[in-house]
Amino acid sequence: MSVADAALIAGYTVGDGLLIAATLFVTLAIAMLYRAIMGPTNQDRVLAVNVLGTNTVVILALLGAALGEPWFLDIALVYALLNFLMSVAISKFTVERGGVI
Amino acid sequence: MSVAAPQLAGLVPLQSVGITPIEASLFVFVLLTAVLTALFRDVLASIVVFAAYSLGLALLYTFYRAPDVGLTEAAIGAGVTTVFLLLTIAKTTRPATDARFEAINWPAVGVCGLFVLVVAATLPAFPAVGDPASPILANADVTGYYLANAYDETGAENAVTAVLAAYRGFDTFGEAIVVFAAGIASLLVLGREVFTA
Repeated sequence: MSVADAALIAGYTVGDGLLIAATLFVTLAIAMLYRAIMGPTNQDRVLAVNVLGTNTVVILALLGAALGEPWFLDIALVYALLNFLMSVAISKFTVERGGVI
Repeated sequence: MSVAAPQLAGLVPLQSVGITPIEASLFVFVLLTAVLTALFRDVLASIVVFAAYSLGLALLYTFYRAPDVGLTEAAIGAGVTTVFLLLTIAKTTRPATDARFEAINWPAVGVCGLFVLVVAATLPAFPAVGDPASPILANADVTGYYLANAYDETGAENAVTAVLAAYRGFDTFGEAIVVFAAGIASLLVLGREVFTA
């Protein structure tokens, strides 16, 4: 009997498993805040928030599957599209101060 | 093996307080980023952490089944606001400092805390979720009308969108005019003809 079967017999559904995974990813996001706080440079912070954004897309996808709400993926897509915007803007800002767009 | 929504209530240990673990961790994340945004001495670091705050908030909105709000937070909060804030600090000078965090102004914290308490005191006035005596459910005729006819009359699949953009369309139009006027006014103040980076 596989672990998945045992879990199903114990009364946990696939949705529960996905939800636990999403919770772990949120915990991971809190851990990633360490880099965003400590830096030491702003580039570290930008990178940390970029990883957080990717993390968010994963959490949204997991939640969409766990709660049976496929439209969560739309929001995940919007995030995936917009996530790079902040990184590019801040990178440009630090290289040539004054230019953002 | 179908992926189903409602039966996840069984496993959450915090159920007694009505908060699932994922909500709890999202709350921690949002609160942490919010406090950090306020505390960072370096404005650029503040903006970066504010973007993280917006990510957490969008997740929370989505988790509470408010897709349009989550989508707006994703588009405006994570994308556009960061760029606007960067544009703003690009026009200003940056104080040289070694301190990582801002010194906390405790009287201000006290005033903010008091304000939060006052606002929180109004919370019990809200009807509980699904309360049959709440205005939405007590006036079932009104709610039911919109739910039944929104698609036929407006063509919008989301009832919230239908109310916002069609039934109270003139109101929304008025709001758009206010935003437009504010844009024109700021151009006048800046003495420009177009918005440039």
